[in-house]
Amino acid sequence: MRRFYLPTLLLLLLGLASGQTGQSYIDTELQRLIQAGGQNYSNTLLRQAPDQALCSIHRNKLPAEVLGPFIEEQRKNIKYPADGKLMGDWKQGEPIFNTLARGNCFSCHVGSPLNIGGNVGPSLEKYGQRGTSEAVQKYTYEVIYNTWAYFPCTVMYRFGHGGLLKPEEIAHVVAYLLDPASDFNTKPALKR
Amino acid sequence: MGRFWRLVGAAVLALFSLFVLAQEEDDPVKEAEKQKKQLLEQSGGILPSDLYVEQGEQLFKAKRGPKQASLEACDFGRGPGKLEGVVGRLPRYFFDTRRVEDLDSRIRTCMIRLQGFQPQEIKRSEVVAIAFYLASLSHEQPVTVRPLMPQEKKLYELGERLFYLRAGPRDMGCATCHVTYVGKRAGVLPYSDILKDKRAASHWPAFRYSNDQAWTMADRIRACYSNLSMPAPDFYSEPIIALTLFMNVQANGARMDLPGFIR
Ligand code: HEC
Ligand code: HEC
Repeated sequence: MRRFYLPTLLLLLLGLASGQTGQSYIDTELQRLIQAGGQNYSNTLLRQAPDQALCSIHRNKLPAEVLGPFIEEQRKNIKYPADGKLMGDWKQGEPIFNTLARGNCFSCHVGSPLNIGGNVGPSLEKYGQRGTSEAVQKYTYEVIYNTWAYFPCTVMYRFGHGGLLKPEEIAHVVAYLLDPASDFNTKPALKR
Repeated sequence: MGRFWRLVGAAVLALFSLFVLAQEEDDPVKEAEKQKKQLLEQSGGILPSDLYVEQGEQLFKAKRGPKQASLEACDFGRGPGKLEGVVGRLPRYFFDTRRVEDLDSRIRTCMIRLQGFQPQEIKRSEVVAIAFYLASLSHEQPVTVRPLMPQEKKLYELGERLFYLRAGPRDMGCATCHVTYVGKRAGVLPYSDILKDKRAASHWPAFRYSNDQAWTMADRIRACYSNLSMPAPDFYSEPIIALTLFMNVQANGARMDLPGFIR
């Protein structure tokens, strides 16, 4: 056993030092441990994607040489709504933002007039003050679609990338944040 | 019976006090202390967790199972029947099973080996109650979990790696919340600092007064997975033991507060 274990460890350390993409975090030992947790558990964990592996290897702080290619990769997989409109209907965005099982955005962000916000993420209070320029729309859409394109390895879910929200739904949330007529911008935010 | 109803009354009062959010302390530890004091005053010195301890003691001492044996001869690491302080010394390696075991899995082992239960016959609620009883005998004892055996060292290292692993549609990983965003709130409670705040691991098993639940560390870990809609590892499984080992080592030296009393 020991004889096999040492080379694996060395390989892993070498991998850590080189910081390349495409390496896996889960070696044979870790895989065996995860499998002991049951079928459903291991099915999900063992399907770790290469970018998730990178965040795991570097403990959520990517070194400079990994950062550039990582962000580039994240940007590449962003998809947009079929009609090209990044701002949808704020009224449809409202329940997404304010429902735990959907966007759950209020849990981490202050800004909603319907729910008391958390402070895991920055406050989005009166987010609409940033205007509705194409650049602002694009940034907001992309941050929600794939947070890691802007904040690598952060805690906010990659809603589009992870398949949690469809492009059109993200556009509705963008409208909820940006539309000057949205309750998000006209009503006071609830805070602790 | 009278005692039982007083306990039920206490639980109802605990739920009631939840609505007094305006006066809630910012520090969850202080808030829990306040709630505990209030509960003790209202119930005349009884906490709802005492019920679990009492149940657990009965289950522990009763002759049960196909072998009609009690659990009194169970070895939790300090020798058969030596129960004081054991909760602060687990997980550890056991020569009889040749496995590293945590509190829950060791209780299960003894139910199988001493009492003759089949694994599938073991009721989770009984294991939790027994865990609460053992916890009451480890109150104010120090956490001393030092991986020395090769099996312990290996599982510790794997637990640490599992702690940093990101996976699933929400990119879930323990460290994201409990290392990177420590102190931040996504709900009522701030993310605890598992690497630096020894209290995070030293008050399990714990009673949660906000919803009247008795939890061991395994329940806590499983809830953290479920909160991000991830499948949780099975009870008594190695990933839970590995994570618990990793976290308990971080709490070394802390005095245990048992059973814990938390929101
Ligand atoms: C689990 C926590 C969490 C959830 C859920 C979450 N966010 Fe975030 N969000 C963050 C964090 C943390 C950041 C900052 C990233 C960083 O610094 O690592 C952020 C950043 C943002 C930003 C950029 C902020 C700025 O000032 O430029 C926007 C916009 C945003 N989130 C919107 C949303 C929306 C909309 C949702 C729901 C669909 C959501 N977030 C859900 C944690 C979260
Ligand atoms: C998205 C955030 C998040 C993730 C990811 C997460 N937790 Fe938690 N965890 C919480 C919250 C919220 C609580 C309740 C507040 C508290 O006690 O920290 C909690 C509580 C805990 C506690 C109790 C701490 C105490 O002081 O009583 C432990 C132990 C714990 N989590 C372990 C884990 C482990 C192990 C993982 C990974 C398998 C994990 N958590 C993943 C949010 C998270």
